Amino acid sequence: MKLLTHNMLTSHVRGLKPRGGFPLHIQKENLGQSWGGKLGGSVHFVPSLPPLQCNFAFLLSLPAPVGHQVEVLEGELRCPASGRRFPISRGIPNMLLSEEEA
Amino acid sequence: VGCDRSKNLVDICGEKNFQAFVCDALSVPIRSGSCDACISIAVIHHFSTAERRLATIRELVRLLRPGGTALIYVWAMEQEYKNQKSKYLKEKNGSKDKEEEISTDVSQRSLSDQMPGSSNQDSACSSQLLSDSKDKDCDAKPVADSRLPVHTNRTSFNSQDLLVPWHLKGCNKKKEERIDEVLLPAGSKGSQELSPVFHRYYHVFCEGELEAACRSLDCVRVQKSYYDQGNWCVILEKL
Repeated sequence: MKLLTHNMLTSHVRGLKPRGGFPLHIQKENLGQSWGGKLGGSVHFVPSLPPLQCNFAFLLSLPAPVGHQVEVLEGELRCPASGRRFPISRGIPNMLLSEEEA
Repeated sequence: VGCDRSKNLVDICGEKNFQAFVCDALSVPIRSGSCDACISIAVIHHFSTAERRLATIRELVRLLRPGGTALIYVWAMEQEYKNQKSKYLKEKNGSKDKEEEISTDVSQRSLSDQMPGSSNQDSACSSQLLSDSKDKDCDAKPVADSRLPVHTNRTSFNSQDLLVPWHLKGCNKKKEERIDEVLLPAGSKGSQELSPVFHRYYHVFCEGELEAACRSLDCVRVQKSYYDQGNWCVILEKL
């Protein structure tokens, strides 16, 4: 899951106040880099970023193209309002809700 | 970004380095009004009531910003249209089992290239779809005969609501191989009957049905409505 993708996702648990599910907090276990070089300042900055409440234009404008190239491979997304966790495995977030939650 | 309800299918997208996530089409975890464009290809026809099909369209429209557009493809009841048989019907003889119905319920051009081809994963997909088809919609009027007909692949549709068989053939690398024998002990004959068959629910759309459903939403304008290789298609714009 690239940061650009993360920026699109929101929690959709029922009963949240409007915009309450965005942005999801990233809890990473394993980050990937999809380019040869290193991000200046190291990839560790990602989990310590405040939730990215920004738009694509901003992400694309960052000096290192962060949104494109930093990926969360294993980890979780946490809903800021409900605390509900959505797992990320092999770069794929599973956002499926149960019957009760939807 | 892509999404599907089948985790196994979405994992394949991940293996190919596409950005995708798992979700239900009735509840897409994306903020309202944040998409310039959406596509829904061969999805809505798997929902078992008119209400749910409309809810899926409504959800798609919710994602669009004003002026954004959506493309929807669904399987058509009319597999022969204007005297032309669709590719689905034409490939009746000598069709490869692996391609059966999975990759051909949509136009065979660039769209079907993106359809999943691996039979390994489809079994999980089919199981999920089976449970979708048991949708208990208590608001529906009781039907005289509530059994769903099972379709014969590569033939015309006799009913709008039906189950389409899908034969799980097991791992295969080459399209040309007859791979049923891989699943079975050496020397067994009549392997055909022992391959598991899954039944996937479809509601195939009649001419004008998809368009009418889209028009029933008040924040939407139908830009284009057409037939493409056995599919009814709509391009709509969010107002």
